[in-house]
Amino acid sequence: MNPSDRDDAPPEFSLLRRKTLIGGGLLLGGFVASPRISAAPEAPATADFDNYFIQLSSLLIQHQLDREVGLRLAAALRTRDPEFTAHVSALLDIARKKNAKIVEEFFPDVPDGPLKDTALLIISAWYLGVIVDEPGAEVFAYELALMYQPTLDVMTIPTYAISGPNEWTSEAPPLNSLPAF
Amino acid sequence: MDVGSTPTQLPAGILMATENSADVIVVGTGIVGCLVAQQMLDSGLSVVMLEAGPRVDRWRIVENYRNLPPTLRLHFDAPYPPKAWAPHMESYTDAAAAEYLQLEGPNARAYRQGYVRYAGGTTWHWAGICWRLTPQDMRLKSLYGVARDWDFDYDTLEPYYTRAEYAIGVCGPSDASLQWPPMRSKPYPMGPLPFGPGEQRFTDAAARLGLKNLPSAQARNSRISYDGRPPCCGNNNCIPVCPIAAKYDAATALPKIEAKGGRILANAVAYRVETDQKNAIAAVHYFDPDRRSHRVTGRIFVLACNGIETPKLLLLSKDDRNPNGVANSSDQVGRNMMDQPKLVAELTLADPLWTGVGPVQGSSIMQTSQGDFRGRHGGALFRFNNMARSTFGGVAAIRKGLVGRALDEEIRRLSACTAEIAIEHELLPDPNNRLTLSSKKDWLGINKPNIYYDVGDYVRRSAQEYSVPLVRKLAAELGSTDVKVSTEFTNSDHIMGGTIMGANSATAVVDLDCRAHDHPNLFLPGGGAMTTAGCGNSTLTMAALALKAADAIAGQVKRG
Repeated sequence: MNPSDRDDAPPEFSLLRRKTLIGGGLLLGGFVASPRISAAPEAPATADFDNYFIQLSSLLIQHQLDREVGLRLAAALRTRDPEFTAHVSALLDIARKKNAKIVEEFFPDVPDGPLKDTALLIISAWYLGVIVDEPGAEVFAYELALMYQPTLDVMTIPTYAISGPNEWTSEAPPLNSLPAF
Repeated sequence: MDVGSTPTQLPAGILMATENSADVIVVGTGIVGCLVAQQMLDSGLSVVMLEAGPRVDRWRIVENYRNLPPTLRLHFDAPYPPKAWAPHMESYTDAAAAEYLQLEGPNARAYRQGYVRYAGGTTWHWAGICWRLTPQDMRLKSLYGVARDWDFDYDTLEPYYTRAEYAIGVCGPSDASLQWPPMRSKPYPMGPLPFGPGEQRFTDAAARLGLKNLPSAQARNSRISYDGRPPCCGNNNCIPVCPIAAKYDAATALPKIEAKGGRILANAVAYRVETDQKNAIAAVHYFDPDRRSHRVTGRIFVLACNGIETPKLLLLSKDDRNPNGVANSSDQVGRNMMDQPKLVAELTLADPLWTGVGPVQGSSIMQTSQGDFRGRHGGALFRFNNMARSTFGGVAAIRKGLVGRALDEEIRRLSACTAEIAIEHELLPDPNNRLTLSSKKDWLGINKPNIYYDVGDYVRRSAQEYSVPLVRKLAAELGSTDVKVSTEFTNSDHIMGGTIMGANSATAVVDLDCRAHDHPNLFLPGGGAMTTAGCGNSTLTMAALALKAADAIAGQVKRG
C-alpha cells in the first residue's frame, strides 16, 4: 500500500494530543519534585494547588488515585473555572474542621451551591474520566476511570480482557462483594 | 486521466492490474467486495478495488474509541469520523445524524443506518453474528401469502453459506439441536464460545418459558487461531471495534488481497458507472480527495458499496440508454429497502444478571422468527445484549450525585442489575420504502441519499400482538422489577433490498447470481440483492451471495 494512503484520525482524536498532555502533566510533576526550578513566578502556586487538589480528591474518593491523571485534571479544572482554586481551599477547610478522613464524614457539611457542585464535579471527573460528558470532550482517563472499578471482578473494561480464550464462565460473584481499588 | 490498455505480454484475456484497469473492478472494500476480490485473484484474474473512505490501522480506531467521552462510546460510528469526501451518518446528535442520510416517512428514525465508509467497511463494527436464513424465510409468498419467494431454495444457497462460514471463520455448536437452522452440509469450523453469566441466566429463563436461546453462529475465533487471526479473549468490544481482530472484519482481508496482487485505492469515491453502446459497463468514474476525476476500466464490474451506496451510485449513473439509472429498467433500484426494525426492552432486576463477560453478543432466541402467524405479522428475534453495562452504570450513578461507598455500590448495582433485550422484527419488501437522490449535495457535489421508510402494519402488528407481550414475559421470568419497552423503532444496520433479486427482469434488479438484468458485466452482490430479510443478521447471507456471484463471474470470464 502506498504510505500516502494511510490515514490519521482528525486532530481531536490524535494521539499527539495525548502525548502533549502527558508531557504537560510530567512538567507539572517536575515542578513539584524540583525545587531548583521553583523560581518561576507561577510555579509555587501551581505546585501548592496541585497538592491541594490531590489532597481534596483523596478526601472525596477513598480509592487509589493516579497522580498523573490528577495533575491533568487539576490543570484543566483550574483553567475552566477561575473560582475553582478558591473552592478547593474552601472544601479542604470544611474537611479539616470535621477532621474528616473519608467523604461521608464531611460531605453533609458542604453547602448546596457552587461548593457542592465543585465537589461533585471532581468526583465525577475521576469516575467518568472526563470533566464534561459530551461530544468533543477531552478524555483524561479511560482504563483508570473509576467507574470501571466497582465491577472489575466480573466485567471487562471494553477493549481489555480479563480472561483468556474461552476461559470466561457463567459464574459471577454476589452483588455485595465490592472489589478493593 | 485516461485508461490503461491491455498489456500484450500477459496471457490472453488477463489484464494486468494498474490503478486504472483490471479484469475485475470492485467498488467497496467491505465483506462482500473482499470475498469477491479474493476469489477473483485466486482464479487468476486481476483486481482493482475502489474505496470511498480512508484506510486506517486498527490501533488508531481502538484509541479513537478509548478517547471518546463515556456516553459517546455507545455510538458505534463515533470512532470512525468520516472524511469530507466520504460522509456517513454520525449519530452523536439528532442534528448530526440528519446531515448525510435524508430520511422521511412514518419510521424515518428507524432507517438511521450506521454503516461506515472506511476501507474494510462496516464489518469494522459489526457484532459478527452469522445467522442463516431458513428455508421458510425464502418462501414467504408460497407459505404465508406475503412478500416474494426467492427464486432459488435453501438447498441452493446452503453450499455458499458453508463456504462463507469457512472463509470468514464462523464458530458455532456441533449439536444440531442448538443450530439455526439445523440443516448443514458441514460442521462449523470452530466450536461455540462460552456464555457469560447474563446470557446463561437469560437462556435459563427462556427455557422455563419453553423458548430456546441458541448460541449464535459468530465470526469470532473460538479457542483457536483461524486464518491468521487470534482467538477471542472476551475483550467485549466487538462493537465498535475488536481490538485484536479475533472477530472477522474485512479490514483483515485487505493485506491478503494485496499479497495476491490486488490493488486497493482508498479515498476513491465512485460517482458514475459508464455504459457503452451495447449497454455493457465500460468504466467507473471516481473522485479523489482533490476532486479530480479518474476513470477505471475493466471487464467485470462489481458494486459492493452496501445497500444504500450501491443503489445511490446506480441512480447517479443515469444516461441516455438508462434514463432511470443504471440497472434500473425494472424501476426497482432503491425500492424494497429493508432492515429489521428494532425495539429494546430495558430491565431492572432485584438480583444481578451481569453483562460484559465474553463478546457483546453471543446468543438469540430464533424460533420466534417462524410460524404460521407470518401471514398476519412478522416474526421476531430476541437477543440479550451482553455489552458491559459499567459505562451506563457509572454515568447513571454519578448523575444521582452520590458519593463514597454509596456511589460505588450504586455503580455496581446499576451495572449488574440492569439489562437490555433487543427485539428485531421481520420486515417485508415494500416498493414504497424507497431510496431516491436528494437534491442536497455532499462535499463533492454528489447527491445525498434520501429514503422513505415505513415499517408497515406487518411489523407494527408483530410488536403489538407478539413480540412486546413476549418480551414482558421474558422480563418477568428473569425477575425484573421494572421493564421499559421502547415505543419507537430503531435501525439494526442490516441494509437489504435496494437491488432486489429475482428471475424476472421486469420485477427484479439482479438475476440469481446477482448479475444486473440490464448489464451482462455488472454484478451487485450483497444485502441489496436479498429478496426477503428474515429476522437474523444479514451479513452471512450477503457473504454467501458474494461467493455465488464470484463463481458466476469466474465462469463468465472463462467463457469469454
